Amino acid sequence: MTTPTGIGLGLRAAFIERVERGEADGKVAFLELSPENYMHRGGPAPRRLGAISERFDIITHGLMMSLGGVDPFDDEYFRELRSFLDRHRSPWHSDHLCWCGFDGALLHDLLPIPFDTGTAIRVADRVRAAQDRLGRPMAVENISWYLELGRGQRDEPEFVAEVLERADCLLMLDVNNVFVNSRNHGFDPYTWLAKVPLERVVQLHVAGHELWDDTLIIDTHGADVRNEVYDMLAWVIERVGPKPVVLERDSNIPPFAQLLDEVAAVDRVYQDALGRWHANQLVAKHGS
Amino acid sequence: MAAKGEARLAAMSAAIRAADAPQRIRADYAAFLREHGLVDGDVDALLERGGERMLVYRSLVHNRLRNVVREFIDRSAARRGKSEFRADFDAFMDEQAPVTPYLRDVPAEFVAWVTPRWTANEAVPPYLVDLARHELLETDVRNDPAGGEEPTELPLALDRPLRFDGSCRLMRYAWAVHKLPYALEDTSTPPHVLTNLLVFRDRTGKVRYLEIGEWSALVLEELICRKLPVAEGLRRAADRDGASLDDERLAKAANLFAELADHGVLLGAEPG
Ligand SMILES: [Fe+2]
Repeated sequence: MTTPTGIGLGLRAAFIERVERGEADGKVAFLELSPENYMHRGGPAPRRLGAISERFDIITHGLMMSLGGVDPFDDEYFRELRSFLDRHRSPWHSDHLCWCGFDGALLHDLLPIPFDTGTAIRVADRVRAAQDRLGRPMAVENISWYLELGRGQRDEPEFVAEVLERADCLLMLDVNNVFVNSRNHGFDPYTWLAKVPLERVVQLHVAGHELWDDTLIIDTHGADVRNEVYDMLAWVIERVGPKPVVLERDSNIPPFAQLLDEVAAVDRVYQDALGRWHANQLVAKHGS
Repeated sequence: MAAKGEARLAAMSAAIRAADAPQRIRADYAAFLREHGLVDGDVDALLERGGERMLVYRSLVHNRLRNVVREFIDRSAARRGKSEFRADFDAFMDEQAPVTPYLRDVPAEFVAWVTPRWTANEAVPPYLVDLARHELLETDVRNDPAGGEEPTELPLALDRPLRFDGSCRLMRYAWAVHKLPYALEDTSTPPHVLTNLLVFRDRTGKVRYLEIGEWSALVLEELICRKLPVAEGLRRAADRDGASLDDERLAKAANLFAELADHGVLLGAEPG
């Protein structure tokens, strides 16, 4: 298993043919994809993906594990997922700190969880069980949430830290989600970032977002990355060093060349920050 | 009462799914939450944020899922009518909701759920279930995990079943819905004739539709759906046709097998 670093792209049906034709070659460091879009599926899509994964490192990012849920895990889903991850040699697998199903129904969205210890224990148990079933490390992603489901005993970064420690797992840090939440709920995103154990960050997401109304931003992955989010990415990379960073785009997808330009723009921010990280390393090693 | 963690999820799940949730949340949000087992601190926190915020999630979930269903069966949805389709979808969420982890399988779950309801509803055009089933085929067959199996290299034998490509489906419609135009605004009624289509994914990944006659459909029902040995399948098909297995029927069956082998959908006799 390889662990790519640099700027990767979230693979989407809208441009998978262009990736297959080689238009992303040399321009993205790796691809991230959601196994649910390819699992349990025959025909052209898995064939295409097989060809693509010969040329690119693949990191998997799931949607439907429902780590914050209370329904028992679906054995069939895990079996399919495990064989998919093995086939595409994903070094770890990530899913969200959320729930997406209840009482057998699956709602196909990232639904919020309360930030309390009971929930942290439940989520951590499920993360550990998932790691066992998948035979590889799990990373959990902080989501955009529009309400907290009840009265939490702690704030979100404390909750995230508690889950990470209890599960001894990795963090898939979505800086856009931190930004969206900071605007929706009125907190300082850098205070948030300073409170999570950055040494557990294994991968990052950047994306754009849109307004629902004048009081709420929704994490649609439907717009360009904002400067504030670039700044946050740089702040994190400066502290954690080389990591894989994924540009996510799910709606209003621009022409592919333009999307690749955005990958290049994320890369410039990343490389600058990495330069500062290297400088810091040297200072730490040899003194100033 | 549900455990505390479960109660909060139950309340949100009901806010998203229950048909009357918007009305009840707007009328008395606290009562709605307490009814699902939420207690003081949690109720207060959610009240502070307000019921409309809870309903944002309902909109996000419904919009996403309804749009996926509409995308897959857009002509059926258009013919059903915007508000009627929306009401059908709301009822689906209320009574069943998706159970598949694969978003692309949600439309088929909706169609399976709505079929008896559309059939029983006189306001729904009688061909609409056939049209929805037909519209689902394109993605369903293209993405079927089965299909693309290797030929068995064994010649047809009367005492053995045949192997067909795993993606193939025999569709029997009461209406010739496959003849309807693709325009969303079209409202014409399809011919009211029994229609049989054999649908499969060819070796290039393209979905193919083969219109076949009644005798061929009877034969394939026995051979594909019931996996009977050839001779027994043909006999049963003739019985159901109310006729004897005469030379004409045998010749037609032989032609059908040759045609399906040409298309790469008939893969030879099953090994013994
Ligand atoms: Fe993300």
